[in-house]
Amino acid sequence: MLRPCRVNDIIMTNTPTYIGFEEYSEHVPASIPSAVQQATNRFVGGRAARVAELPQWEQLRQAGSDIRQHTIENMDVYLTRLEQKVLSAGGNVHWAETAADARRIVLQIAKENNVKTAVKSKSMATEEIGLNHALEAAGIEAIETDLGEYIIQIAGTGPSHIIVPAVHLKKEEVAALFSKHLGIDAPSDPIELARIARETLREKFLTAEMGISGGNFLIAETGTLVIVTNEGNGRMCTTMPDLHVAVVGIDKVIPDWESLTVFLKLLARSATGQKLSTYTQFITGPRRADGEFGPKEFHLVLLDNGRSKILKDPVGRDVLKCIRCGACANVCPVYKNVGGFAYGSFISGPIGAILTPQMLGTQTARELPYASTLCGACADVCPVKIPIPTILRHLRRRVAQGDEFSEPSMPAPIRFTADLAALALAWNWIYRFGARILPIINPFFRRDGWLTGMPYPLSRWTKVRPLPAFSARFRQWWNVRSTKEKGTTR
Amino acid sequence: MSNPILENIRRSLGRTEKASLGLRPVILKPRPPESVDSEIASFLDEIKKLSGVGQKISSAEIESALKNLVAQHNIRKAAVWNTPRLQQLQITNYLSSLGVELISPNADKHKIAECDLGITEADFILPETGTLVLYSSAEKPRAVSLTPRVHLAIVTPSALRADMHQVFAEAKDSRYLVFITGPSRTADIELTVTLGVHGPKNLYVWMMEN
Repeated sequence: MLRPCRVNDIIMTNTPTYIGFEEYSEHVPASIPSAVQQATNRFVGGRAARVAELPQWEQLRQAGSDIRQHTIENMDVYLTRLEQKVLSAGGNVHWAETAADARRIVLQIAKENNVKTAVKSKSMATEEIGLNHALEAAGIEAIETDLGEYIIQIAGTGPSHIIVPAVHLKKEEVAALFSKHLGIDAPSDPIELARIARETLREKFLTAEMGISGGNFLIAETGTLVIVTNEGNGRMCTTMPDLHVAVVGIDKVIPDWESLTVFLKLLARSATGQKLSTYTQFITGPRRADGEFGPKEFHLVLLDNGRSKILKDPVGRDVLKCIRCGACANVCPVYKNVGGFAYGSFISGPIGAILTPQMLGTQTARELPYASTLCGACADVCPVKIPIPTILRHLRRRVAQGDEFSEPSMPAPIRFTADLAALALAWNWIYRFGARILPIINPFFRRDGWLTGMPYPLSRWTKVRPLPAFSARFRQWWNVRSTKEKGTTR
Repeated sequence: MSNPILENIRRSLGRTEKASLGLRPVILKPRPPESVDSEIASFLDEIKKLSGVGQKISSAEIESALKNLVAQHNIRKAAVWNTPRLQQLQITNYLSSLGVELISPNADKHKIAECDLGITEADFILPETGTLVLYSSAEKPRAVSLTPRVHLAIVTPSALRADMHQVFAEAKDSRYLVFITGPSRTADIELTVTLGVHGPKNLYVWMMEN
């Protein structure tokens, strides 16, 4: 069984005190990048094909970006409207300032309704607040029903990819998990394994007292929750139990149905290369009448958990435009080589690298803004044009120098070294003096023309690659060369 | 009424409660409709690409088509939407005569879940994506298109809409709406595409000819 246990334990706690991206990356098993690359290559190809079909793709992206920007800038108005509409449709609205508040609200609803089993459709927001653990601690069985999420729930690992969370597991491993968990002899056949999951989970859908979902969009105009899925588990969770609780980030609000046309056209094409995902549900409050399926009670939990603070930063807040398609991860050379675990949070890839440090603080996630080569591929594919490299650089500055939102979080020796380097580069005479003086350390670390095994903090560099030996010869060479040139041109 | 989250948002954005709403950016125009024949052709083509089966059918052909469907998928129990058009087409009569047990579409969820076949209409169809759009009501219970192994939607050209803009304009005040684009699918195990993981494995769409 391949699983990076330590990293995973950290993900599962949902309140990491420090995310060591560099250390986690070193512990990623080789099976993860190979599986992740298969997935990302397929999605990248699918996306490219769908984009090529739509001549107005760039206009769609621009509209998507503009509408999200507009919504962020007027978020209070749209959330107020949304709340009124959900209430007038007979639903309940709860505001959760923190993850703990959201957990408490959901547990309270479960308790009032005497819930023993809850079925869940895939949701980033419930991962973010660590809902499953809270439910289990309260004695409520919480079952993930998306096939991939179900597999990793049984396996006890975190997701390695936003769309296909269990892609790092081979079919033999899934069969072994099913056999052990269900007490059956499961074959190593994806189709047969899906059938087993269908039958097992069907029973849960029919008996669970509560369905829990996230939401892709919230339409302020009518108070409508939009849920996009492929398997149909999202429909099951919102159709079978008498109680439906949706936990959704406040950033998911959009103005109206007309805006939704833009996002539905962007989302599946960017995520999986489908024109539309199989099922898109539009839910406005609880069911209307008896004789109809659907929940009698509908609760919308609006989750802040740091989002309203992110809004204060005019550069960083663009992260809230995200529609969670995962396209940025699929093209990211760093993500493709480390997979989802290394990002130490519920959301990975480039978007995770700019969201997690803003939600948990740069003290906790100071390494994530550096988990990028700044190649810019993420910004090129983002359906809502989030300038991810710009925000990465913005957060790097916050880590290194601090800003109005946070103290610097880079370790003092590195900051000191960087300051020295900046000084040396700014003042010619210091640089020249350094170039003269530094070669005296060469004999202690030199292997051929290279320095290896330097002491901390330089060891952070030399453990990955050697440093060229210090030498003042370049300047000498340059002076000689320019004198010669002057000679020839004359 | 004070709401700390809304207050935080306003503080962060430097807005007041009375601040006016800026103008929502312009949205791209809907796709213009083509001729009905070409819309139907592209709709059926998309259904096929999605691993569904779409065909044109006349009311005279319904009985034999149902017979084939029942035999091919070994259908024992079925639930049918209780709508005038499906009644008029005598769907339930045909199914009974084929020996299929009919379960009321409003039956208990455990009973509905036992059905092999669910038959619905579609309130709207989107040709560009091969999408069926279904309302939910006592006559049109949403579980009928969800829990059976096989879903058959009987549709008419009058349900065609060129783009989702028109569907939303007509349907946004309904309490529940679902877009169905192909059979239930997953690629969660080794990226192997598997149909029918929670919803129907087989999707049939019969387009009625006028």
